[in-house]
Amino acid sequence: MDLKFQHTYVKLLAFDLLSLAQTPSLSSSDPIFFSRLGKSLSRAEILGIVTTRDHKPNKFLKFTIDDGTGCISCILWLNQLTSPYFSRRSPPDVRLIADMAAHFASEIKIGVVARVRGRISSYRGAVQITVSDVVIERDPNAEIFHWLNCIKLARNCYGVAAPCK
Amino acid sequence: MAFPAIKSGELVTLKDLHPSSPLFKHGASLRVIGKLQEYTVETAIAIVVDGNAILKIDTQHLRDLSFRIGSVYQFIGELLIQPDDEAILQARVGRNVDGIDLNLYHQSLQLLRQFQADHLKNSTT
Repeated sequence: MDLKFQHTYVKLLAFDLLSLAQTPSLSSSDPIFFSRLGKSLSRAEILGIVTTRDHKPNKFLKFTIDDGTGCISCILWLNQLTSPYFSRRSPPDVRLIADMAAHFASEIKIGVVARVRGRISSYRGAVQITVSDVVIERDPNAEIFHWLNCIKLARNCYGVAAPCK
Repeated sequence: MAFPAIKSGELVTLKDLHPSSPLFKHGASLRVIGKLQEYTVETAIAIVVDGNAILKIDTQHLRDLSFRIGSVYQFIGELLIQPDDEAILQARVGRNVDGIDLNLYHQSLQLLRQFQADHLKNSTT
């Protein structure tokens, strides 16, 4: 399995992300891993219109990104201050992470175009993105550039064995 | 928390939406783009145009969107086809896209469709 793209946010169109092969791994800490044409992927960047928004304050914000080729479910965790997962980290760091997540949550509104980066994960068998970063794109041509980038990268980089040009 | 699956708005041009097209389906979730030609506040119906094609948009469910004649808008919604074959898009999302390069948009749409078709053809999983 090619691990070249393990740590990069691979730019993918929704229909491509939804068609990734899911393989359950033997380790319980990383239950499923995703691959595309023999290349292991763990992080992705998607860009599209926010079409649904479900906010549970201090718990999570679940939203959907529609990029015209499919819908991707995204989860942004907002529970850093109460989660045992963060309890061993220094409180100022946790506060920073929590504030950033809260800021992202306030920017995500139905109808805006968002560029979302995160880990590819799975929930109830469906691919989703666990959000690490959000940028609201105000340039009306941003979506077009993203489609073209995804197509170019899929053809020149993600789909071939040779190194990227 | 149960969430009804929301369908993706398929990218179509207004020219694609004629009665003999496979995209002209009642209930289809579509994403359209066009210049605002007419808007009636009482009915919340907008008429958008792209080239020679026009489409009626029902904007009653949209919030925080101001309508300016001559501006370019993008809408995602479901297509309702009336008995006389007249179509209207029930928009659930809308945004002003003034500044968009429509030529680039249409060309990119073609490339995108080709890419999706190739992907389907080459898919082995």
